[in-house]
Amino acid sequence: MMENIFKARNILNFLLILALFFTLISCQKKEEPSTGQKKLNIVATLFPLYDFTRNIVGDKAQVTLLLPPGVEPHSFEPKPGDMLRINNADLFIYTGKYMEPWVEGILKGLDSKKLVIVDTSRGIALNEEKEDEKGHDDKHGHGKIDPHMWLDLSNAQKITDNILAGLVQKDAGNSDYYTKNAEAYKAKLREMDAKYRDALSTCKRHTFIHGGHFAFGYLANRYNIRYIAAYHGSPDAEPTPRRLIELKNKMKQYDIKYIYFEELILPRVSEVISRETGAVMLKLHGAHNVSKEDMDKGITFLAVMEENLKNLKVGLECQ
Amino acid sequence: MMMNALDFLSHAFVQKALIAGSFIAVLCSTLGVFLVLRRLSLIGDGLAHVTFGSIAVGLFFKSSPVYVAVPIVMLSSLGILKLIEKARLYGDAAIGIVSSLGIAAGVLMASIAGGFNVDLFSYLFGNILSISIEEVIASIVLSIILITVILLFYQELLSVTFDEESAKASGVNTERINSILVLLTALTVVLAMKMVGIMLVSALLIIPSVTALQMARSFKSTMFIAAIAGVLSVVLGICISFVADLPTGATIVLLNILFFVCAFIYKTLR
Amino acid sequence: MPVEVISVDGLSFQYNAVDVLADISFDLSEGGYMGLVGPNGSGKTTLIKLLLGFQKPTKGAVKLFGYDPAGFQDWYKIGYLPQKIVSFNPNFPATVKEIVALGLISRKKLPKRSRRADKLAVGHAMELMDISDIKNELIGELSGGQQQRALIAKAIVSEPELLILDEPTTAIDPETREKFFSLLKELNEQKKVTIIIITHDTGTIGKYASKLLYLDKKIIFYGSFEAFCVSREMSDYFGEYSQHLICHRHDVINQ
Repeated sequence: MMENIFKARNILNFLLILALFFTLISCQKKEEPSTGQKKLNIVATLFPLYDFTRNIVGDKAQVTLLLPPGVEPHSFEPKPGDMLRINNADLFIYTGKYMEPWVEGILKGLDSKKLVIVDTSRGIALNEEKEDEKGHDDKHGHGKIDPHMWLDLSNAQKITDNILAGLVQKDAGNSDYYTKNAEAYKAKLREMDAKYRDALSTCKRHTFIHGGHFAFGYLANRYNIRYIAAYHGSPDAEPTPRRLIELKNKMKQYDIKYIYFEELILPRVSEVISRETGAVMLKLHGAHNVSKEDMDKGITFLAVMEENLKNLKVGLECQ
Repeated sequence: MMMNALDFLSHAFVQKALIAGSFIAVLCSTLGVFLVLRRLSLIGDGLAHVTFGSIAVGLFFKSSPVYVAVPIVMLSSLGILKLIEKARLYGDAAIGIVSSLGIAAGVLMASIAGGFNVDLFSYLFGNILSISIEEVIASIVLSIILITVILLFYQELLSVTFDEESAKASGVNTERINSILVLLTALTVVLAMKMVGIMLVSALLIIPSVTALQMARSFKSTMFIAAIAGVLSVVLGICISFVADLPTGATIVLLNILFFVCAFIYKTLR
Repeated sequence: MPVEVISVDGLSFQYNAVDVLADISFDLSEGGYMGLVGPNGSGKTTLIKLLLGFQKPTKGAVKLFGYDPAGFQDWYKIGYLPQKIVSFNPNFPATVKEIVALGLISRKKLPKRSRRADKLAVGHAMELMDISDIKNELIGELSGGQQQRALIAKAIVSEPELLILDEPTTAIDPETREKFFSLLKELNEQKKVTIIIITHDTGTIGKYASKLLYLDKKIIFYGSFEAFCVSREMSDYFGEYSQHLICHRHDVINQ
């Protein structure tokens, strides 16, 4: 009888220690590659910023992405380890106050003298999340600012310029190098922009429907196509039943045979629509963040946009 | 408006939501009566967190997360029982331990893996409007199993829920009955979480039975009222969310709370 | 030789290294009527738990109808009223009728459908305990006395051969108590039901039980009530005055 109680207490203690252990470990920050004296330590919040910065700095700096791969950013909250990483960095690059509302809060808590903070939305005109529909009563996100500005390739170039400015401020010594790379990268962005413009000018359809959250407003706006998203806010939000019926009706109305799903979440809404309309599912990647697999394969923003263009051409039935 | 209603019901996702949602409601609310009376009401929430952790394990080993989750969650439910029995904890503490372990394991797995290909938290949010035909069938099958178990073991379940020691003196295998109860709960949680998400699972396990307890005049009637309250909240919730253009899950939860308030007022006035 | 209903041999039980019961040995035959008495904390309820197999003895053996309680199958032979329902929920949503019916579980095999005979048995048990008028009330809404009567009805409904009642009359008024003990006397004398009643009211049970087992971790006394009243051990144990009080109190009431 004695051993029974002893064993039970032991098991309980063991479990408690195990739970504590797991919790502590998950709070640890990942091993940071050691930064030499010369190399800048840069932390970027979102994948496109990370990728643009990578292209500008080459091997002269260490760039890390704050978001772990596979994690969806709209509901991201920084952990203490993240705060530490930002505080220890030379440069902190974020999208803007609408994409990362938590930045305002932590800025007060940062006490680094050397940290340069780059708000890449500076000088970029932000739109509201409005549906381009005549007579459509916009109850959804009325007046809400659309933070997904990087998906407009002209904005992407401005972002690149903002990042460059920050780099030059921090590391004037390498300013020529950075400027050269930035220009080269902007040229690639312009090239991609031209490709989009050409490809999307002669399509049979002018509307694409997205079974995810409202993310492609800027892109649609730039190339003059109609964009309908299932819901606003974060990818994990739910569309209402009426909205789902509306989407199905729109697909019929515009004779659309393709439905887009977004990256990193289970494509539940697109699946429902696909099941009930027979539409083919195609991926449209919002480039907020990438999966672990893609990260390991070395994916780039331009590759994502290339793939998006391919799928848009199919869905919009272009030449 | 009538035309609208007929049109509404013609959509497959609405039909599936109504059918599967109702079966899930019956599952959760009837199990919920036993769980609430045994002070295990939060077991749904706790097992949902374990599901979260097991999905991470599944993704880590690159296998189907749902098939990995089922055995892990079932084992955890038995683990909760063992903690209550051997460590002499109350239900809520035992559930709390297992629940924290589940979440921590999930976060740890995600961290070790360096991230996944799908956002892990995406698994916590189901959507009652995006149920597949396989899930509809699964919910019907599981409901049939549960109803059969309840019919076969009704007296034992009632006896164990009322007083475990007296039950033992009546020859009831209390360990077996408790295990059956929590294992069925585990299966229900995994299935329901996949179909309707964690918010609805927790709500449907607790609120309809608490509503029924306000109005109960016998144990049998308690179970019926709980089941009806659950199903009604789902069916009305889907319809109202359509009419008022609201998110369905939240509407169902709010309806449940409304029913509870009404039942409570009714009880107080009597 | 007929099997004893209860047979205890050298039974000891420790909890957290504390002796709760030490070296208990006694037998109870069919038709026996035993009062299990003793002060609070003397181990009476623990002894019952060991008899029913809810706990395992540290030392010694218990036999229930000749079998080890751990492997016991014939639970229909036993009717049990626990001292208090462990986690009794005052809002438990079952009616008296539903609770009394639970006493019949031990007699049923799968599928356990409720038959007409069952309904009659439940009705009869409720009548005996005078609770027919509250059969549709919720058990949680009853007074302590009514609840106790309902649980007693549950214990007797399956017509058990052994009745174990732990403090069955604490909340019951004297009139009902008389009726209750008459019922037990009838069951014991006419149906040969073996009865064990745990109570701290030695004087009252002494009137009815054929045997008294005075327990205080050990068996202080095991014998008839008359022997109890003249026993040297009992005088030594709690003084002659108390012994006298217990043994003659019921005489005072009867006058």
